[in-house]
Amino acid sequence: MNIFIVIPVFNESKKIEGVLTDLKGLGLPIIVVDDGSKDSTLEKVKKFQVTVLRHRINLGKGAALKTGCEVAISMGADAIIMMDSDGQHKGEDLPKFINALETKKVDIVFGSRNLSMGVPLVRFLGNKFASVLIVLFFKIYVSDLICGYRALTKKAYMQMNLKSSGYGIETEMVVKVAKLKLRYCEIPIETIYYDRFKGVTIMDAFGVLFNVVKWRIFK
Amino acid sequence: MILGLQIIAVIFALIMIYFAYLHYRRGEINGLEMFFWLLAWTGAVFIALFPEIFRVFSATIAISRAFDLAMIGGFVLVIPIVYSAYIRTKRLEKKLEELIRKDALKGLNEAPKKNKSS
Repeated sequence: MNIFIVIPVFNESKKIEGVLTDLKGLGLPIIVVDDGSKDSTLEKVKKFQVTVLRHRINLGKGAALKTGCEVAISMGADAIIMMDSDGQHKGEDLPKFINALETKKVDIVFGSRNLSMGVPLVRFLGNKFASVLIVLFFKIYVSDLICGYRALTKKAYMQMNLKSSGYGIETEMVVKVAKLKLRYCEIPIETIYYDRFKGVTIMDAFGVLFNVVKWRIFK
Repeated sequence: MILGLQIIAVIFALIMIYFAYLHYRRGEINGLEMFFWLLAWTGAVFIALFPEIFRVFSATIAISRAFDLAMIGGFVLVIPIVYSAYIRTKRLEKKLEELIRKDALKGLNEAPKKNKSS
């Protein structure tokens, strides 16, 4: 199976080198999509043997992921592993995703963080509330809806036809998995929170919540 | 108290007319749009200064207070404007996303050519 790693990145000049160094030894092709960073992120990424794409304007995580996935598919990917660029995901968890894709024959593998693995309590509770809401609306339970560490096959990506351009893309994936009845599994991953001001904000969460209701009403 | 409210309403409307004119001079809105906003805010000034005219209308359509009619009228005007702005923003967002993503992919296609020449 031809597996590509896609990493969307925005203003992560302090962390991106560490992330790419961590992935160096794994031998998988990496696509980094710089989503209009204003700092030296792009220059730092260019030092590595990776495919780099750049959005001139910051569009959001979803748009960057879609650009990365489309390029991966055009380069011959059979499956894609998505990772965050802030260093919270570890390269050592990657084989678990590959293993799940290859042995469990699933369409999508969701990474799942939990309290003992360093998730702040407020985020954990918000995440659980959203999970319950998704169960009620779409009858699918994914314990960590917004975890950015996940893997999916080319077929699943093409079928999902993702629309979100921001942080809603992760929740949209879960909703589409339920609607399309795709096969999925979850695997526990380790996570480290370096910066509590980055990532999904309370406003993003409300935006995602609004979209969840919208997806339910307008099937 | 009512006089104070009237003064605030008139000042607010005049400021909004000034902003409409400013955007018109900058070429951000066209003559028709400028005319629409001028008409809307002049109407607001007129209503603020002569609220008794409103009472005739409110009595006709069985609304007890003129203020209630003004509120309903305001909502009727504002809701379509907000909705239209929302739709236009979504459309623009979509176009911008398409453009930026195409541009990013173009950069990828050009990269190997550069490597060959160097």
